[in-house]
Parts: sequence; C-alpha cells; structure tokens
Amino acid sequence: MNKFFSNIRKYHKYAIRSAKAELKSEVADSYLNWLWWIIEPVCFMLIYTFIFGYVFHNKTPYFASFVFIGLTAWDFFNRMVKGSVRLIVSNRDLVKKVYIPKYILLLAKSYTYLFKMGISMVITFCLMFAQGVHLSWHILFFIPITIILYVLTFGIGMILMNYGVTVNDLSNLINVFLRMVFYLSGVFYNINERLAGTLCFVLLRVNPIAMIMNEFRRTMLYNQLPSFKWLAAWLIIALILNAIGIHLIHKNENSYAKVI
Amino acid sequence: MSSNEKKIALSVRNLHIFYRGLKKTSIRSSWMRLKDKVEIFEALKGVSFDLEEGKILGIIGKNGSGKSTMLRAIAGIFSPDEGTIDLHGRRVSLLSIGVGFNKKLTGRENIYLSGMLLGFSEEQIAEKEKEITDFADIGKFIDRPVKTYSSGMYSKLAFAITAILETDIMLIDEVLSVGDQRFKEKSYNKMKELISDETRTVVIVSHSLSTIEELCDEVLWLNDGEVIEQGDPEEILPRYMEFMKSKKKK
Repeated sequence: MNKFFSNIRKYHKYAIRSAKAELKSEVADSYLNWLWWIIEPVCFMLIYTFIFGYVFHNKTPYFASFVFIGLTAWDFFNRMVKGSVRLIVSNRDLVKKVYIPKYILLLAKSYTYLFKMGISMVITFCLMFAQGVHLSWHILFFIPITIILYVLTFGIGMILMNYGVTVNDLSNLINVFLRMVFYLSGVFYNINERLAGTLCFVLLRVNPIAMIMNEFRRTMLYNQLPSFKWLAAWLIIALILNAIGIHLIHKNENSYAKVI
Repeated sequence: MSSNEKKIALSVRNLHIFYRGLKKTSIRSSWMRLKDKVEIFEALKGVSFDLEEGKILGIIGKNGSGKSTMLRAIAGIFSPDEGTIDLHGRRVSLLSIGVGFNKKLTGRENIYLSGMLLGFSEEQIAEKEKEITDFADIGKFIDRPVKTYSSGMYSKLAFAITAILETDIMLIDEVLSVGDQRFKEKSYNKMKELISDETRTVVIVSHSLSTIEELCDEVLWLNDGEVIEQGDPEEILPRYMEFMKSKKKK
C-alpha cells in the first residue's frame, strides 16, 4: 500500500498534465470547442426531461434538476467504467515502451472525467437556482458524496482495467451491464415513487450508483440529511475494492506488455 | 580483477522470462480451455551477466533469441519470472521514439508529456527545453500540433527528447536512423557522444554488426534465450558471423 501512495506522489504531476493534454486535444479541432462540455449534458437533460417529464407525465418536483443530478453522477460512473476496461489496450504504445504504474493511467483519465463532472455540477447549480429550489446548507454534502463516488469508481476501474487486458470481450459484457444499471438507477425516474417494498430498498442500497444519486438528490434538492449508515458502508466497500485493485495491478502490471 | 576495478552498474542473475499465464482469452474460450494445458514459451532461459559502469554492451543474436525481451526486462516493463535484475540504484530508460505523444498537441507540450513519462520533473525538463528544441531543429513547427509534422520531423523531435533527457543506463533497441542525411549524421554523432560518456552505461541491441563493432566495448551473444558468450567484440563477432553463415547453409 505504501508503494501505491509513493507512486501516486511521484506521478501525480504527470497525471495532471496528461489529463490537461487530453482535455485540450479533445476540443482542439472541433468548432465549438469547450462549449461541447456544456452543450452535451444540457441536451441530454432536455431530452430526458421532455420524454419522461412531459410524455410520461412525471410529477417529481424540480424534475429538470432531478434528472440533471442523476446524469452528472451517472456520466462520471459510466465514463470511468467504460474507459477503464480498454485503458491498457488503448495505451498499447506507452505500456510497451516505458514503465509506469498502471493506475496512473486511470488516475489521469479520472481527472478528465472529474473535470467534466465539475462542469456538470456547476450547470446543476445554475439549473437549481433557475427552478427556484430552496437551498440550504445540506447542499454541502455533495462534497463527501462525490468523494465516495470517486473512490468507489476508482476501485472498480482498477479491477476492470486489470481483467480488461486478458479478457477480450469484457467490454461487451460491461456495456450490457452498464445499460442495465442505467435503467435500474433511476436517472430519469424516482425509484422511491415508482417502486415499493423490498425491490425499492434493494435497488437503492445494493446498487451503489442509485444510492449515490439518491443521496445527492436528497441533500441538494430536498434539504434532507444523507443516510450516513449506507454511505459509510459503501465507503468501506469502496476501500476494499481499491485494495483489491491495487493488489491485482501490482501483481500483474509487469506482464501486461506481454499480452497486448 | 583487482579490487579497485570499476563499479558494477547492472547485474543480471539467472533471468528467466516466460510468455504464459496472462494469456489473452475471451469469456467463451475460458470455459473450454480449462482442460487444455497452457503453452509456455520461455524467451530467456537463465541469463546472467554483469556490466561495469561506463561500458557499452552490444547484444547480438538471431531473430527471436530474446534480445528485445531482455531490454524490456531491464527497463522494468516486464518483471522477471525467475532471477533478478539489479540496477544498483541507477535510473534506466529505453530509448524509444515518441512515447506518450499526443498528436493533437504542439511539439512543445509533447516534450513535457514525454519527458515526465520518462520520470523527469517539470523543472528538469524546463531546463533542457531549449536544448531539445535546438537539437530537434524543426523551427516554427515546435509550436504546432504534432499531427501536422512530416514523419521526419516527428522522429527528429522524438529522438531529441530521449537523447537530451538522459538517464544513467540507456537501453537502445536498434540504433536509430531517423530524418534526412544531415540529421542522421547529427543523431549518430549525438548518440556516440551520449554513450561514450564516462559514467553512462549503455546496452544496445542491433543486427548491424558494423554498428556494434564501432560503438561497443563488450558483446553479449544470445541464442534461443541462452548466453553463448560474453566478451571482446573482436573475438566474438567473427565467431558469430561464422555461426550465422553455417545456419544459412542448412
């Protein structure tokens, strides 16, 4: 574990620079440049709000903000999971030529996604303000909840990254799985309203991303306290996943170059 | 050898590298393969050697004899399956072209990306930046995106980065011939200057025996993952040529 932290310290600056480079290159040759980081989430929010708010008559209060918070959390999770599976293979040239602790690649990637999530969060706040959501200090809970989301996805990312090297069709499996989780997470509907009993309980507690979305909404939109018990439980699980991921990568990273 | 001999920079002991274990698989085939035996290919079968500080070692051998595998193992890209590699605390880099380049960014930005990937700090690179851009000699293109470069300019910049940001032990896989005639000469001379530095230890893999003869103090002959001989180029190279000729006849 010490090795992990000393590696992070050593390569942290590289990760930041690499993340910046990637963001820069992403917008380097599109006409609207960085505006896309704003336009894209807003468009998706409009689509979901229109379909599920008007077509399906959803009566959830502050529905646009509700959807946007869900999308913000989901996009981060989705990008991390999808990105990590093919991460080593897509960095083939690099992996074959220099030694770099492999989670640094994930770290760099996560910074770019975190940046996009930050933009998304700012838009969320604007939207909440525009919709006249009553703001209270509970909103500050979005910081610890975001940290738990980050730690959790980083752990999952490391594990997927490791198996993504050797298992060719893991990305297909993950795509199907992500689609399922997307619909089960209540990005565009309120699980609490639509489902009841055990199913609701299970979906909101056992599915971490639904749980985190729900906590974001409770604290940011409805001025409630988060459920500390479940957040703590998932933080512990997240830390265990990280430990497993670090162990797997330390054990296997030097063999990746032989396989890809 | 007397006790005031030079320091050892690199020790390789009984190095084995296998290609197996982490084999590419798919979910479907992993069910079926449970019964099958895994095929093991042993790229290096117990290689041992020492290299003194400041020496230039050339590794020769036919295709598939494990030369590149060994370089990558020394560079830390592979870990040894058995045996040890001791660098005695020195920094090592595999001289390779354009590592970590992002083609949509400018040459200057890529100097930093590539350099930091090789383990240098931002300050160290900033110090050497002028030297690198001067050596690469690609003029205004240094501030344009790398994707607009010709292949010659690309390799010039890439070579300049690895050549100027130096480490204690340099590993070179095939001496590079990049750019036009003028740059080729310049880079060859730079390479010679780099590797003839007193404290720099160099390992070169090449199929060009004339290069090896000119640059190296010592030769290591590998065949099918085993060391045949290590020693003076003048003694080993003729025997190696003889060996390759006899192979050809068969």
